[in-house]
Amino acid sequence: MKIKNFLWVLLVMVVGCSGDETAEEDAAYTNIPLPVEKPSNFPEMAYDLALNPPTEKGFELGKKLFYDGRLSSDGLISCGFCHLQEYAFTHHGHTVSHGVNNQLGTRNAQPIQNLAYQTTFMWDGAANHLDLQPVIPLTSAIEMNGNLTSIIEMMKGDGVYTKLYRQAFADGKVNTENMLKALSQFMVMMTSSNSKFDKFRRNEAGGTLTSDETAGYTIFNSKCATCHATDLMTDNSFRNNGLAVNPLVNDVGRFRVTELTSDNYKFKVPSLRNVEKTAPYMHDGRFGTLESVLNHYASGVVNSATLDPVLNQNGRLGIPLSELEKTQIIAFLKTLTDNQYLTDKRFSEF
Amino acid sequence: MKNILKYNIAFVAFGLFLTSCSSDDDVITNVSGTGNLGLEFDQSYGDNDLILGQANATSQGEIVKISTVKYIVSNIVLTKADGTTFTYPKGQSYFIVDESKPDSHVIDLTDIPAGDYVKVKFGIGVDQQQFNLGAEGQGNFLAEAQAADLLWSWSAGYKFLAFEGTFTSPTVTSDTSFMVHTGQTGTDYNYTEVTLDLPTKALVRPTITPDVHLIADVSKIIDGTNKIKLTDYNEMGMGAMIMGGAALPLVTANLNGMFHVDHVHND
Repeated sequence: MKIKNFLWVLLVMVVGCSGDETAEEDAAYTNIPLPVEKPSNFPEMAYDLALNPPTEKGFELGKKLFYDGRLSSDGLISCGFCHLQEYAFTHHGHTVSHGVNNQLGTRNAQPIQNLAYQTTFMWDGAANHLDLQPVIPLTSAIEMNGNLTSIIEMMKGDGVYTKLYRQAFADGKVNTENMLKALSQFMVMMTSSNSKFDKFRRNEAGGTLTSDETAGYTIFNSKCATCHATDLMTDNSFRNNGLAVNPLVNDVGRFRVTELTSDNYKFKVPSLRNVEKTAPYMHDGRFGTLESVLNHYASGVVNSATLDPVLNQNGRLGIPLSELEKTQIIAFLKTLTDNQYLTDKRFSEF
Repeated sequence: MKNILKYNIAFVAFGLFLTSCSSDDDVITNVSGTGNLGLEFDQSYGDNDLILGQANATSQGEIVKISTVKYIVSNIVLTKADGTTFTYPKGQSYFIVDESKPDSHVIDLTDIPAGDYVKVKFGIGVDQQQFNLGAEGQGNFLAEAQAADLLWSWSAGYKFLAFEGTFTSPTVTSDTSFMVHTGQTGTDYNYTEVTLDLPTKALVRPTITPDVHLIADVSKIIDGTNKIKLTDYNEMGMGAMIMGGAALPLVTANLNGMFHVDHVHND
């Protein structure tokens, strides 16, 4: 008899938990997988899709997170604050970015594109998994200064978020694991692969290079592609490219991660996709134009103990480049602009 | 009111139900079912209980006053007398021990197959295999780690251990801060696993929840197999900050020798 009562109470509890409208609504919704295809001219994908396959609702949740300033301590700084789509998700016009309370960082915001193909993140490679990279800007005191526990609480109290978590993930939990997975699903979908250069490489319509662009590509292949390798234009290595050290910052680059003196002043070789739109350039945004960048390589390289050997050959610093060659390289670099990506509504804030 | 009454009846009923089950286990040979086990991490400095803020001497002629000891305990594996092992579910196997929070000293493990356990193995930190999976399997642990100040924000990783305080030495005469943090660096992963024999068997039964009382001798962190002189790391008098480089693998190796099981309660 007593056991019977107990079971009855238990039954009420179970029914009470599942009887709300949202559960019925969720049960009616079937999440739709989003296909991720590797463009034929890209190297292999680094991201393990099997552990976190993108879905419609996971992507939608990730996008909402990306543009939500409430993740920061002052409620204003979202990921999208420093990563603007029209500039290939960089912070146009900012050498370095300002985070909460108008604090300045020390490095230039990097573009967000084709990150599923990268193995290390940040200028110094401090993160080595895409899922975990957002932890850095989210929690950095000078960027978003976010408190993960508060962020989770905020989302648990927001019906739009809780619904998206339920729809996007089998366990429906609002936690850091699912938050980071959703952000990755959004970023994994952010593929820029439809520039004129891509069409040229894939023999598609609209892929005919001009003579200057063709000449630029030839020079690029002989003088730049050692580091800016593959169609993603990076070999994912860390190198000292001979920038004069800014004494006000003395950014030691990769050394911060490894504490190896051989890594002093080394930074990750950036992809050059959409490079026309991502000014200013270098880890600290010191160069305002592509011309300045090429002038640096032609005549501005400073020698030091860790200068990359390819920039110090036969007793000559830097890369010999004539004025014509510089013009042609820049003409080629502009073929890497992917206007479809820069205006793709799927990734837009509004 | 009616509901409350019904709950009460239900709990009484449930209690009777449990009691009636447990009476079977008075026979010790019956080791079926599951039980719980507590792993107690009791911090000491050498042979003495650790008192935060108290001055303690190292073998290197330094005096340390410890303010913070925190570490991540993970990947718990229990070994039975017959050599078979029970691996605690990985997703639930990440804990933070914080000397300043007594509640965190005992890790309550549940749903362990009944048996006579003779060994315990655990990790200090988050293992690399788990870390390489990205967010997968981490639940809300990043938030917990951040709340405990064990998130290595700048590298999106965990501090596996935080050991902090002040020190003096013959050459550093005023209290100077020190911070020892281990975790993944660009050169070393710095996760370690500790395997300890239990001096008496831990008898996990539906009715017996053993408490395995471990002593963590925190003096060993810098004064173990590898001797680390904080004074050597006090660059420009700014404090000894050991958070990377060649010293971390030395500290990590020391962590391996800082634990022992003092005794086991089978209550």
